[in-house]
Amino acid sequence: ARRGTGTEDVGKTDTGDGKEKYRGLKDKRLELKKNHQKEELKKEVDLEDHKLSIKELERKYGTNIVTGLSSTQAAELLARNGPNALTPPKETPEIVKFPQADGAILCWIAYGIQYFNDKSSSLDSVYLGCVLALVVILTGIFAYYQEAKSTNIMASFSKMIPQQALVIRDSEKKTVPAEQLVVGDIVEIKGGDKIPADIRLLSTQGCKVDNSSLTGNLTPSLRTHDNPLEAENPWNKMSTSPVGTATGMVINTGDRTIIGQIASLASGVGHEKTPIAIEIEHFVHIVAGVAVSIGILFFIIAVSMKYYVLDSIIFLIGIIVANVPEGLLATVTVTLSLTAKRMAKKNCLVKNLEAVETLGSTSIICSDKTGTLTQNRMTVAHLWFDNQIFVADTSEDHSIFDQSSGTWASLSKIITLCNRAEFRPGQESVPIMKKVVVGDASETALLKFSEVILGDVMEIRKRNRKVAEIPFNSTNKFQLSIHETDDPSDKRFLMVMKGAPERVLEKCSTIMVNGQEQPLDDSTAEAFHTAYMELGGLGERVLGFCHLYLPADKFPETYSFDVDTVNFPTSNLCFVGLLSMIDPPRSTVPDAVTKCRSAGIKVIMVTGDHPITAKAIAKSVGIISANSETVEDIAKRLNIPVEQVSKRDAKAAVVTGMELKDMSPEQLDELLTDYSEIVFARTSPQQKLIIVEGCQRQDAVVAVTGDGVNDSPALKKADIGIAMGIAGSDAAKNAADMVLLDDNFASIVTGVEEGRLIFDNLKKTIAYTLTKNIAELCPFLIYIIAGLPLPIGTITILFIDLGTDIIPSIALAYEKAESDIMNRKPRHKKKDRLVNAPLAIYSYLHIGLMQALGAFVVYFTVYAQEGFRPSALINLRVEWEKDSVNDLEDSYGQEWTQYQRKYLEWTGYTAFFVGIMIQQIADLIIRKTRRNSIFQQGLFRNKVIWVGIASQIIIALILSYGLGSVSALNFTMLRPQYWFVAVPHAILIWVYDEVRKLFIRLYPGSWWDKNMYY
Amino acid sequence: MRRQLRSRRAPAFPYGYRYRLDDQDEVNQNYLADEEEEAEEEARVMVVHDLEEEEEEEEKEEEEEEEEEGQGQPTSNALWQKLQIVNEHLWDPEKRMSLARTGQSWSLILVIYFFFYASLAAVITLCMYTLFLTISPYMPTFTERVKPPGVMIRPFAHSLNFNFNVSEPDTWQHYVISLNGFLQGYNDSLQEEMNVDCPPGQYFIQDGNEDEDKKACQFKRSFLKNCSGLEDPTFGYSTGQPCILLKMNRIVGFRPELGDPVKVSCKVQRGDENDIRSINYYPESASFDLRYYPYYGKLTHVNYTSPLVAMHFTDVVKNQAVPVQCQLKGKGIINDVINDRFVGHSQMDT
Repeated sequence: ARRGTGTEDVGKTDTGDGKEKYRGLKDKRLELKKNHQKEELKKEVDLEDHKLSIKELERKYGTNIVTGLSSTQAAELLARNGPNALTPPKETPEIVKFPQADGAILCWIAYGIQYFNDKSSSLDSVYLGCVLALVVILTGIFAYYQEAKSTNIMASFSKMIPQQALVIRDSEKKTVPAEQLVVGDIVEIKGGDKIPADIRLLSTQGCKVDNSSLTGNLTPSLRTHDNPLEAENPWNKMSTSPVGTATGMVINTGDRTIIGQIASLASGVGHEKTPIAIEIEHFVHIVAGVAVSIGILFFIIAVSMKYYVLDSIIFLIGIIVANVPEGLLATVTVTLSLTAKRMAKKNCLVKNLEAVETLGSTSIICSDKTGTLTQNRMTVAHLWFDNQIFVADTSEDHSIFDQSSGTWASLSKIITLCNRAEFRPGQESVPIMKKVVVGDASETALLKFSEVILGDVMEIRKRNRKVAEIPFNSTNKFQLSIHETDDPSDKRFLMVMKGAPERVLEKCSTIMVNGQEQPLDDSTAEAFHTAYMELGGLGERVLGFCHLYLPADKFPETYSFDVDTVNFPTSNLCFVGLLSMIDPPRSTVPDAVTKCRSAGIKVIMVTGDHPITAKAIAKSVGIISANSETVEDIAKRLNIPVEQVSKRDAKAAVVTGMELKDMSPEQLDELLTDYSEIVFARTSPQQKLIIVEGCQRQDAVVAVTGDGVNDSPALKKADIGIAMGIAGSDAAKNAADMVLLDDNFASIVTGVEEGRLIFDNLKKTIAYTLTKNIAELCPFLIYIIAGLPLPIGTITILFIDLGTDIIPSIALAYEKAESDIMNRKPRHKKKDRLVNAPLAIYSYLHIGLMQALGAFVVYFTVYAQEGFRPSALINLRVEWEKDSVNDLEDSYGQEWTQYQRKYLEWTGYTAFFVGIMIQQIADLIIRKTRRNSIFQQGLFRNKVIWVGIASQIIIALILSYGLGSVSALNFTMLRPQYWFVAVPHAILIWVYDEVRKLFIRLYPGSWWDKNMYY
Repeated sequence: MRRQLRSRRAPAFPYGYRYRLDDQDEVNQNYLADEEEEAEEEARVMVVHDLEEEEEEEEKEEEEEEEEEGQGQPTSNALWQKLQIVNEHLWDPEKRMSLARTGQSWSLILVIYFFFYASLAAVITLCMYTLFLTISPYMPTFTERVKPPGVMIRPFAHSLNFNFNVSEPDTWQHYVISLNGFLQGYNDSLQEEMNVDCPPGQYFIQDGNEDEDKKACQFKRSFLKNCSGLEDPTFGYSTGQPCILLKMNRIVGFRPELGDPVKVSCKVQRGDENDIRSINYYPESASFDLRYYPYYGKLTHVNYTSPLVAMHFTDVVKNQAVPVQCQLKGKGIINDVINDRFVGHSQMDT
């Protein structure tokens, strides 16, 4: 579903409220249906297959794990269940977006009325209708083009490579396109493959799977778990298996896979209207309200002044047309796309133009942890040996811990040798940290760590040839390998082991301290536990390392190790040390979080990870600030049960998915309002959605950042979804409104700043645009009431709206902020409107009126100097417009023919046009600021403003002197002196606005401030 | 209690710019990241909440309250409720407010706007005054738009087609009435009384101050001879020989070329040249005499009488549309301006 664009909104102006209401009703019904669907989807993923035995599976899916399905069976199933592909999200046909050309249609109707009234009536309304239709179509095409451009950039991101799968069918191994997989197929997967469907593992050889795009976790949980996402044997489509080989049975395909369910969850979530779309709609309502009420008022006046009803209807249409800012849509689109471009330069790619502003109004950011706040790569953080914890910072100088200890020598050897990960060949010139590694996340971390500290790991491994190996598995929870030593004089084998610390410790009887083996007694065990808890408490993943030199007499050089019978000792080893790893936060994140704080934006972490890890990362990036505590922390500190802690004392909260599951929406609301620092851990995609909705219930504008497939429903539900460009999955990018090309959370801050600036500048643009509406409207009203010859024609009005005013109003988008916009709170969605009462009143009733007066002075000057004094003009309308009157007398007794009068009228149009144009220059300058003086802001800092002013003048000169002879345009060559008549009025406008701003600055909070600051 | 609660949310301190924004979004405060600040505010208000019932503050609060009520329930779609809200917004009897403003606030606004618009009125008056200072009442600043002079025909009948039946006076009676009415000002007696008889063939130039009254030359009705309506009160319509008068538009200061007065010539525009066999012009010269120029403007040249040329179509094909085009000829007269039928020519069907 696409978001409503401004195109439709402006077009809506003329259609009454009835349609709106109807639409509302329909929406509601749709919504109900959608909600129902969503509730269903929100139910947790339910898979039982991982608990079944292989035999049961075979029965359930009618397959054989040796021979596979027969081809006919497969074809049948394929026909029944459809291909193994995700249904692409439905696109709204673009044509729908093409707006209703209401204005144009009205004009043609007007012409029709005129034509029936008088067969020889002029074609002016037809021209006008065509011009309006053209305008509407052009702006539509323009907006479409802008959006299509950014969509194209997105398309280039997702290069779809057709996927192949190795499948056993008819007892043969076949390669088939992944799309043709069916339930029951037996597939073989080797290292590096993407898993083509949801499969149930049947056998595996040292194969691990990276589910991070699905769960958001970097390290797959090793425990068997009730939640199928975390269970061990079913693997999910889209996951990649970095190492080993495996066979499995397909249990779900296409949209029924877990990923498919998430995808459909994402597409089931409707996009909310963007805040700026709501604002523009609000603005359109105001303009429409003003237009329609003035129109109707003057219709009544006209009718009671005994004008023909038909004429009155035409007046009504004229008034409405004069009131619609035709150029505004194009201006807003250009303004937004300019900002989008600016943001793209700063690595924020905006997919949906309106999202540019959304970020500025954001009041809550729900951030995913992995890949957004963290670097999405495990890194060794701490080491513990010799009863001491050392910090390992591989990113900087790596000699910060004592490497002279004998223990370190042993530990480093274990780290290097007990590791199956390898660098992919051919990356000699790549820095170590950026090299691609074949292996799982922790082994990668260890490999890189040892490569940085010890140098060429491969060389070391070569020198210590591996003779046997027991790979990691979840029952053992350790990994073991036996090596020859690189010391030629030492003929012993070295057995190295790493694994879960408690498991490793169980197998040890001694511990190495300062290079010396010591018996493992209670005190050292105590020290080990303290260190283990401490590192674990930091949210780090801890591994234990131990080794054993096998005695040469029992294990001679020729000894053949057998890993199946384990013909070697695996106990009484020597414990060497602990090592902990963490996915470290990005260096720019803490600063960005602080900036968000000062900008009044609440940052919430929503992750699928463990609460402890989540909390640790939250603390390190400042989502939980250093001095705030959770209820649990307080309980621990005061040594009282959690229930006794007053909830008001805690500012932070860590909530797990399990707790969230039991919460009612009210409780969630309470949670969201009561705590300023919240971390959600162990959340499912569905729960992310619930959290986002909870935030939105608080009237917050919610931004969600994420990279995984699991984030995509929340990304879509959010007011603005932000996906990571490098680490992000395609699903996330597709669901998002904005993509951070550098994966840098700090870019969000830039985005917020730009968004707020654009909101302020749009205010200025709209104020600028609204002002001249009165100057365009007044002539018409005066024409009706006082019967003056029409001061400005509709086509001329269009030349202002779409000609002279366009570039200046875009130029306002380049205006710099007046104050530090990052120090104020996000605007309230419902109270800080784009167009508020002071803005409308000040633009319409103050500056607009002054402008109208100034333009009238120019008009009167032209007429008076040609012979018609103002007094003579009053009630002249009927005679003036009669085609047959060719001797209309002016104030001097001169007689004017119809054509001469027409020409004078066009000169009047041109004069009025020039009058407005000159005063719009002043308007443009005063709109540069809303509070500060122009001189504080700097008159020349925004060069584009001057380009705008120049364009205004040049366009007016071209219209008057270049096209003055084209009669259809109603412009004439204006005497040069008339260009300066409005200058004093322009200066007056400037002075008046400076006074206004001065009072606002002098008396903040006063009546004046409240009513005159927009 | 409610009051107390409210005041906690809307603290009673004259804040600067940033705080002012805070007041506006009360709800926002609930999820403010900066909780410390909120706590601080709370504490401060707790201490002073007894003293804070200043009137101005109250007014502000009330305004906010009203706003809340006005905007706080947009979710409830019941029309009745909406109406009630609107009604309350229009006039809230409880707080004596209309459109979220108290009477005091309204009167302040009215006063301010009164002064603002009064000064705008003063400005425009000043502008118009300066404008009139620069404009001479006797001579228009520019006359190029009204030149070249246009012509106008009489009788004037909302249409340029003359279509009548000789035997039915109703069809031409209105032409006669129109012509009679028009020529009242040209009555010989009136002209002799008001105007001077000036020498023909030369400009009637009256030097002297601009504001001096100017004399006007006589143009007597009798100059039009058969078309004067003196001998034939039906101007020839009763005999199928209609008279049509041609008048050149007045332009201040306009002088035709000396010795070459503006002449009128009519011919068939399209079709057979013989459809009109003869036209008589009165005065016979078929021209506007130079003595009627220049024109000095309505203010001083009060009795100026526009010269006329009458065309008497004495022999026209009947029962057939004859397009006639009459052109002014003379230096300074452009008679081929495409856009304007009335600059220099005129046509009619008989």
